[in-house]
Amino acid sequence: MKRIVITGLGAASPYGAGVAAYWKGLAGGACAIRELTLIGTDGFRCRLAAAVPEPLAGSARRTRADRLAIGAAGEALADAGLGARDRAAAALVVGAVGGGMLEAEAWYWRHARDGTRPASLSAVRAMLPSAHAETLASRFRLGGPRHTVVTACSSGAVALAEAAELIADGVVEVAVAGGVDAITRICFMGFNALKLLDPAPCRPFDRERRGMSIGEGAGFMVLESEARARARGARVYATLAGHGMTTDAFHVTAPEPEGDGMVRAMSAALARAGAAPREVQYANAHGTGTPQNDRIEARALARVFGEGGLLVSSSKSMIGHTMAAAGSLEAIATVLALEHGLVPPTANLATPDPDVPFDCVPRAARAAGLTCAISNSFGFGGQNVTLLFRRGGAR
Amino acid sequence: MTRPGVAITGVGVVSAAVTGDSAALGAFLAAPAAPAGEALGAGALAALVDPGEARRLSRVCQFTIAAARLALRESGVDPAAGLGLVVGTELGDLASTHAFADGFLERGPGGLSALLFPNTVMNTMVATTAIAVGAREMALTLNAPTVAGELAVARAAAALASGRLPAMLAGGVDELDPVVERELARLGFGAERRGEGAAFVVLEPRAAADARGATVLGEVSAAAWRALPARPWGVGRTRRSPAIAAALEAAAARPGDVGWVYASGSCDSARDRWEEALLGAALGAETPVSTLGRLLGRHAGLGVLRVAAAAWTARSGLLPATDGTTRVERVRPGRGLVHGLARGGTHVALVVGAA
Amino acid sequence: MEPKEVLDELKAILVSRLKFDPRRAAETTEATPLPKGVDGSIGLDSLDFIELSIAIEERFGIAMDENQDLTEHFASFDTLSRFIAGKLRSA
Repeated sequence: MKRIVITGLGAASPYGAGVAAYWKGLAGGACAIRELTLIGTDGFRCRLAAAVPEPLAGSARRTRADRLAIGAAGEALADAGLGARDRAAAALVVGAVGGGMLEAEAWYWRHARDGTRPASLSAVRAMLPSAHAETLASRFRLGGPRHTVVTACSSGAVALAEAAELIADGVVEVAVAGGVDAITRICFMGFNALKLLDPAPCRPFDRERRGMSIGEGAGFMVLESEARARARGARVYATLAGHGMTTDAFHVTAPEPEGDGMVRAMSAALARAGAAPREVQYANAHGTGTPQNDRIEARALARVFGEGGLLVSSSKSMIGHTMAAAGSLEAIATVLALEHGLVPPTANLATPDPDVPFDCVPRAARAAGLTCAISNSFGFGGQNVTLLFRRGGAR
Repeated sequence: MTRPGVAITGVGVVSAAVTGDSAALGAFLAAPAAPAGEALGAGALAALVDPGEARRLSRVCQFTIAAARLALRESGVDPAAGLGLVVGTELGDLASTHAFADGFLERGPGGLSALLFPNTVMNTMVATTAIAVGAREMALTLNAPTVAGELAVARAAAALASGRLPAMLAGGVDELDPVVERELARLGFGAERRGEGAAFVVLEPRAAADARGATVLGEVSAAAWRALPARPWGVGRTRRSPAIAAALEAAAARPGDVGWVYASGSCDSARDRWEEALLGAALGAETPVSTLGRLLGRHAGLGVLRVAAAAWTARSGLLPATDGTTRVERVRPGRGLVHGLARGGTHVALVVGAA
Repeated sequence: MEPKEVLDELKAILVSRLKFDPRRAAETTEATPLPKGVDGSIGLDSLDFIELSIAIEERFGIAMDENQDLTEHFASFDTLSRFIAGKLRSA
């Protein structure tokens, strides 16, 4: 069976541009959730988010989400040292939810309702999630098959899994994949209205946790068949050894209470990787900080790995829930954890929830000789994805 | 490389012109009548979506569930045995997105609707359909201009070819959005005829369909999607289609084996010309081409309906005319091609054959 | 505001915010249970209750304290209209 390796990483995160800034923030346990100024927040219970600081990549004419994607995808491609010929054949898979909605909202708020000013064609086109793939393919001359997946909070992880499928099926040898989302009014207002946001920075796995924090960003990877990577002497970060995708088919917002869909996704990833549960040493959790998700995810983790069976931490405690970018940014965190032998912490964790039977690495990163780790993304609508990584080109 | 064939065992269509399974679609295609109005009436949905359910489902989600149920019912597949779901859409649930925003703009935070919020994410049709039919395996929403429906079928076929799932529901859905229509018309894209509705096919590995004694409506022998050089949303000049080449190779078919084509034209004339050139170069200028877009209005659901229509043409040897009239011509039954091409160069090719 | 008037407002919210058919909403009485899974209930789930809370806050100008467990107040129209009437009196 073809092995899929990661040869390039790129990130635009609430810590700033680049993977180095991203890892430094995570390893330092720095919380990037702060007062939100990008959009108006008057009258809302939660007024915080983890926004990406200026400067953004690309031109100011582009949508914010496009610029985040350009920054991250560009870095991943350069990191992988992917030349023109490889790019011309490379597949592209993008996970997105908001697309250019932030800019479309600004227009709608001012003009759409009374028809005072027509939209520009580029604005209409830039609105949809599929716009990022067009931008990235053009800018970076990626000529292989491209598609865009929208699976809510698991979109970034699904994009990586989709790229792996294309390579495993022999459609391409190289793929660029990842997720991107910019803060939008609709997303911020909606989660506020659903009372799913903590008015303070989120506290995943804490007994006093009260909800999520919103974030934004982009995370992209370059994936290749191992044979191709070796042949061109590429640096290999990790192997994407397995993935699983399931659907709760239970409720449009609430997770299924027993975590069955989560268990099936993790089990499928293990099976596909030929990995036993005890081999996995770390889970980068979905860990949103809502009372429900964290409780159910902990139960699902315990069912698969046994209570205390691995270290667990939530990057959302630091970068917030970056929506479509979460699955890929957190996969990058997982790969870097393997690379550096360091588990990023769960920030803001003051009083671990006694119902969570795991060491959730409170507040400070933990050194650990890791060889195998998973990253979980469990989206709205019960869209569950688990990615399983092994360190380097490990068997 | 040839892959084992993928059987089509169920069809569901919901639209202003035709609503029903493969028999209803076949009857419509044999004697096509352009729909009186553009928009789909509420009556057709009432029989397929229960009022208690409908309260919580936006219109576009109701289309999706109704069409998925029709296809599943025809196929006889049991979702509990394992069912994946792929839905392509171009615009998603924009109606709910407008309504959600309007609630805030009119009344502030108190006007926000929790019920509408999940619909502002494009996976809402998949999420609600998965719940309605009990699909618990992979469930994807693919967003693409023009070819989202064809892409969904191609992606579903690939999932089955990998041998990991026993059945897939592949569909496309879109709803007409008045704000988008108004702005596109202002921007000079009013000529392109857009429509709305949903279409699904149930796909299974051929061997599995035969083993359970299913009625096989047709086969997707191969499917591929690729990119052609073009500026974003631009029309390119390349005439050689890698997707058609890949699909023909995987189906062990030569251009001469393709009796007819369902293409994705719908009055975006520059894009239509590019597609004609690609098809002409791959298959020769004589191969009959049908573009249901002029008859039915283009949307992601139409992309999937074309696959179901191709199965019907492969059986019947009939092809609806392409010139916007409602004629039907006789073609060689057996094998044909379904083709979709988007501005910017993403294109999809599916080889569809008779059972 | 008396519980009876509150009930009429809640029925209006059933139609305008929860998308119930007007006839179905008109049929409800004080005794009608609200949560799904209870015999004779109007079948509201967790998301419906959030929508209902938002609508109640907006229509009646009261705040629902989410740190409090309000489940018992949401058991039926009767309990809910009394709860709201009580909050209005103390406001």
